[in-house]
Amino acid sequence: MKIKAITIGLMAAAALAVPAKADKLDDIIGSGTLRCAVVLDFPPMGSRDAQNNPVGFDVDYCNDLAKALGVTAEIVETPFPERIPALMSGRVDVGVASTSDTLERAKTVGMTIPYFAFEMAVTANTNSGVTSFETMKGKTVGATAGTYEAIALEEQVKAWGEGTFRPYQTQADVFLALSQGQLDATVSTSTVAQANVKTGSYPNIAVVGKAPFDTDYVALFTNREEYGLINYLNLFINQQVRTGRYAELYEKWVGGEAPDLRVPGVYR
Amino acid sequence: MFDTALTLNDLLFLAQGAGMTLAVTAVSVTVGTILGILFGVLRFQFGPIWFAPLTFLLDIFRSVPLLIQLVLGNALQSILKLGWGPFTTSCAVLSLYTAAYCTEIVRGSMESVPMTTRRAARSLGMTWGQDMREIVAPLSLRIALPSWIGLTLGVMKDSALVLWLGLIELLRASQILVTRLQEPLFILLICGAIYFLLSFPIARLGGHLEKRWSPHD
Repeated sequence: MKIKAITIGLMAAAALAVPAKADKLDDIIGSGTLRCAVVLDFPPMGSRDAQNNPVGFDVDYCNDLAKALGVTAEIVETPFPERIPALMSGRVDVGVASTSDTLERAKTVGMTIPYFAFEMAVTANTNSGVTSFETMKGKTVGATAGTYEAIALEEQVKAWGEGTFRPYQTQADVFLALSQGQLDATVSTSTVAQANVKTGSYPNIAVVGKAPFDTDYVALFTNREEYGLINYLNLFINQQVRTGRYAELYEKWVGGEAPDLRVPGVYR
Repeated sequence: MFDTALTLNDLLFLAQGAGMTLAVTAVSVTVGTILGILFGVLRFQFGPIWFAPLTFLLDIFRSVPLLIQLVLGNALQSILKLGWGPFTTSCAVLSLYTAAYCTEIVRGSMESVPMTTRRAARSLGMTWGQDMREIVAPLSLRIALPSWIGLTLGVMKDSALVLWLGLIELLRASQILVTRLQEPLFILLICGAIYFLLSFPIARLGGHLEKRWSPHD
């Protein structure tokens, strides 16, 4: 009798403890709309075209994700500091917003595997004879003062023991000096390098290779307890690379060789 | 300065933003005014002591900055899992904000109707409802109108803060254009001009009504 009562009690408790609850992945598919947080003042990842429609790598990526889920995409513009608050207040479902996967952020939101990487690229004057990071040794190099790549490059020049480092005020100054031959080469993020080469305002410059500085990996994010959705997003990122869509989008928005999304020597 | 990259398309984009500003303002002022009249009459009938809890609540809406109300309101709707969009949330918060001010306007204007006039109406055999409709409403409406027009214009400009919730209204639309075209002065000038075009007719309507309702002043 007593055992029966306990059993019934336990069953009742179990029934109460596990309420039937659809997870976020179901909610998105059910609502028919995927709301993505995207930063739209960060070309080429996100910006607006002449008709003020959102365009960019992240916008296309969100549209691909919506297509995979069989829903329509809604681009919600969020400035950089608003990305995570927008998710927390339920205004968006997923962040597709070039978000670095820091451990600090992972305390608040759930990060996927990297879907994009900002690599450091070497851009050189075509007459300088610089063809890779190593051949910069002994040349005159420069970068925008105070940036991460400028500090790393200055240290590298010191380590080489030959050549000169010149800091500049803005990124535009660096590319102008490079184009005019005052500089032989510079290091900047690959998106910035490709965008400046593409404009055509700086003749005689070309992206010649990668710099072995830290790569900035960026991930999609959603609520940290939504494992079902995070699982789906991870597989989606994998499929984007597998099907060649990642390389295609990279060629469309940035140009050049798409960066590897794996960190050598470790899982995930 | 007039050498600009602004196109007709962009002006249309601004016009859409202005439409959103008008929509938010219209909904908030309508709902806020209805609530305000309701609360104001209740406040007048029940007296300050019985109405104290609601007065306290409305005082919160009058004293906390609107931006904080919007952000907290949005957080609240997400905690309660109401699933409201930014438009609904914005309108709900702005309506309560408007109602808080409108309650005071209604109460003040009702108090301005002399008690002797009202007693005279009741002693002529008018019911409470007749007294309200025929005596209090016409007299207090004249007193309330200028402040109410001021409140409406204020809410229209304050509604710019809903951009924080992601609604693309007039100010947000011009910010987007500034980001793309890098012509802040010119675009903000146009934005200001549009706000003026929206507010001016309302201000004039107020002046016109004031004159019509007080023909013998």
